Amino acid sequence: MIGPRSGSTWQGYAFVGPFVALYCFLLIYPLFMGIEISFNRADLFGNREFVGLENYRRLFADPIFHQAVATTFKLTLLIVPTLTVITLLLALALNRATRTAGVLRGVFFSSSVLSVTILTLIWRFVLTPDAGLIAKLLGVFGWEPIPFLSDPDLTVPALAIATVWWSLGLPMMLFLAGLQQIPGDIYEAAALDRASRWTTFWKVTLPSLRGVLILVIMLQTAAQLQIFGQAQLLTSGGPSGRSRPIVLYIYELAFGRWELGYAIAAAEVLFLLVLVITALQYWAVSRTKADR
Amino acid sequence: MIMLAALLLSGCLQTDDRTTIVVQRFFGECGAVYGTSTDVATAESECGILMTMINAFEAANPDVRVKINVVAWPGYPQLSAQFAAGDPPDLVTMHQSVISDYQARGLLDPMDGLLAQAGITAEDFTAAGRAGVIKDGQIYAMPWDTVGGLFHINTALMAEAGLMREGRPILPESPEQLLDHARHFRAATGKPYLIQAQVNDPATHVRNLYTYLLAQDAQIFPDARTIRINTPRAREIVKLLRTIHADGLTTRSQDFSAATQAFTNGEGGIFPVGTWMIGPYEEEARTPGRPLYNSYAVMPYPSLYGRPAAFVDGHAWIMPKRKRSDPELRAISRFLGFLAERNYDWTRTGHLPAFKSVLDLPQFEALPHRGDIAAMAATGGQLPAYVQRQSAIQGLLAEEIEAAVTGLKPVDTALEDAERRVNELLSQML
Repeated sequence: MIGPRSGSTWQGYAFVGPFVALYCFLLIYPLFMGIEISFNRADLFGNREFVGLENYRRLFADPIFHQAVATTFKLTLLIVPTLTVITLLLALALNRATRTAGVLRGVFFSSSVLSVTILTLIWRFVLTPDAGLIAKLLGVFGWEPIPFLSDPDLTVPALAIATVWWSLGLPMMLFLAGLQQIPGDIYEAAALDRASRWTTFWKVTLPSLRGVLILVIMLQTAAQLQIFGQAQLLTSGGPSGRSRPIVLYIYELAFGRWELGYAIAAAEVLFLLVLVITALQYWAVSRTKADR
Repeated sequence: MIMLAALLLSGCLQTDDRTTIVVQRFFGECGAVYGTSTDVATAESECGILMTMINAFEAANPDVRVKINVVAWPGYPQLSAQFAAGDPPDLVTMHQSVISDYQARGLLDPMDGLLAQAGITAEDFTAAGRAGVIKDGQIYAMPWDTVGGLFHINTALMAEAGLMREGRPILPESPEQLLDHARHFRAATGKPYLIQAQVNDPATHVRNLYTYLLAQDAQIFPDARTIRINTPRAREIVKLLRTIHADGLTTRSQDFSAATQAFTNGEGGIFPVGTWMIGPYEEEARTPGRPLYNSYAVMPYPSLYGRPAAFVDGHAWIMPKRKRSDPELRAISRFLGFLAERNYDWTRTGHLPAFKSVLDLPQFEALPHRGDIAAMAATGGQLPAYVQRQSAIQGLLAEEIEAAVTGLKPVDTALEDAERRVNELLSQML
């Protein structure tokens, strides 16, 4: 039963109040504190010296930061489209009420529950050139092992493959949920019109999944722009920084080099990147929607 | 209801009246083998020996609980984060070259009084140990060893290549001779002359570079804020490393564990790595049927440039600054005293001792290969004490040298970049 208007307003505030307070304390306050620190030369132990925009000037002239940005985009471009297509196909294949489909849904989701440490251990066993699974298989045919974790051309694809395998679960479940929301009568109408499977997918399924598709792409883009653990544990950003994404660089600056102000400046730039890219995606989607 | 809940929860709490000290260490994880063992004398490897020592301490001191926190080598980013969060451990393993970073920022407690309680004074340390832990006239750590790079050698393969004389390996005496030996070795055995951990192991190339620059008395750090690494001498050394890599005279794409295993399996002639591998490889050399059986020798880095030299460092136990109770301080003091009494056992890993008394022990002198590496004690050198951020510098140098060695960058560009990056790091120190 809904009470009078003023009462319901207060009830509403009471419900959201604790979350908003916590959100402000844990996210908004550190965000502003970080912006303030980024204008300082600062170490991890509380020492500060105001330098204005110097950290940002250094950052935009830093070839290592440029390399990290390029690597991050490369990883995002490799992971997001691949992951979206694979999980959509998996969802289409497993969207049926059979026991096998249920088991397979569990199997494909299972990689997502692993911690990044376990993920990297598994992929190290697979990729390492000395005793890895792939090296052993190649050895059977007398072929040389492939140094996935140290070849400058292979480390980024190797990280992308491991990440795609790890991230299958959530997008697949989102697509499955989306598929189950599509009313059956649309498919019946398509069948009456003798639409082919491809036409049904293209004209019925995909447009109906548009919202989920956009959600998956935006979530994954934001997540992969912040990729860290796999790169740190599988390649340490090597060889020579070729697989170092932005967050790994931020970590090295803050905790390895103790340049906290500079690290936070890099973090603020990453924050803006994520914000702008996801906003652009949202804007593109809204515009297409409005055009229709 | 509340009382019932409190009663139930009280059953979940186990009271432990022991004084707890938190010890953070690297040296790896070996709980599956040594988790409960207290038999220090039969333990092998750095991890095994240290873990059994700590277990033995707990057994001998039932009023003290030692909580172990194992960190991945070298663990300094985690430690820095712990300092930043105001929650550092009680004792931490630290390279002596890194101590100044923390001491200069007032993050460490001096340990003179605590060590004195355990009957330890600076006079008990070796000269190298003293130099590594005394800052501004106070003891800021208990030295634990001296470590350095060595050539671990497969003598069976060297014999196959005709590189043995009177039972001892013939090592090169110049860069040109090293390349000659390496090519000859590969032709004779079909295997690479060197085994190197070139992936994710920043110490490998930096150790080589520092060693051969020290051999030429190069002033790598003319002052606390400047590195001078883009020099003809450094270029010559890195070009040699590049040639070794490019000509297939070394293993490639191996991380530390792969390189360690490769040497154990007899897949190459020489593994330049630290003192810590003497113990495990000596064990292999004593085991019939293993590729290294009766085929292992170890020698200091050969003198390729200038005088004989070795870049050395050491491990130590530091005590982060934080508030501690008297029982905790007494427990820490007892723990350090217990470790100090067992410094000989630690030297079975291959490291040189940090306590002078161990040098005179007959059982230390009887340890395998100690005569072979004794020269390192005289030739070993560290970077000047005023050089801070050595761990971070090692990371930056390693990245650029790796680029040069693997051909990702020309040698000149890599050293120019290395110098620029390190100087920028040093210029930003507060």
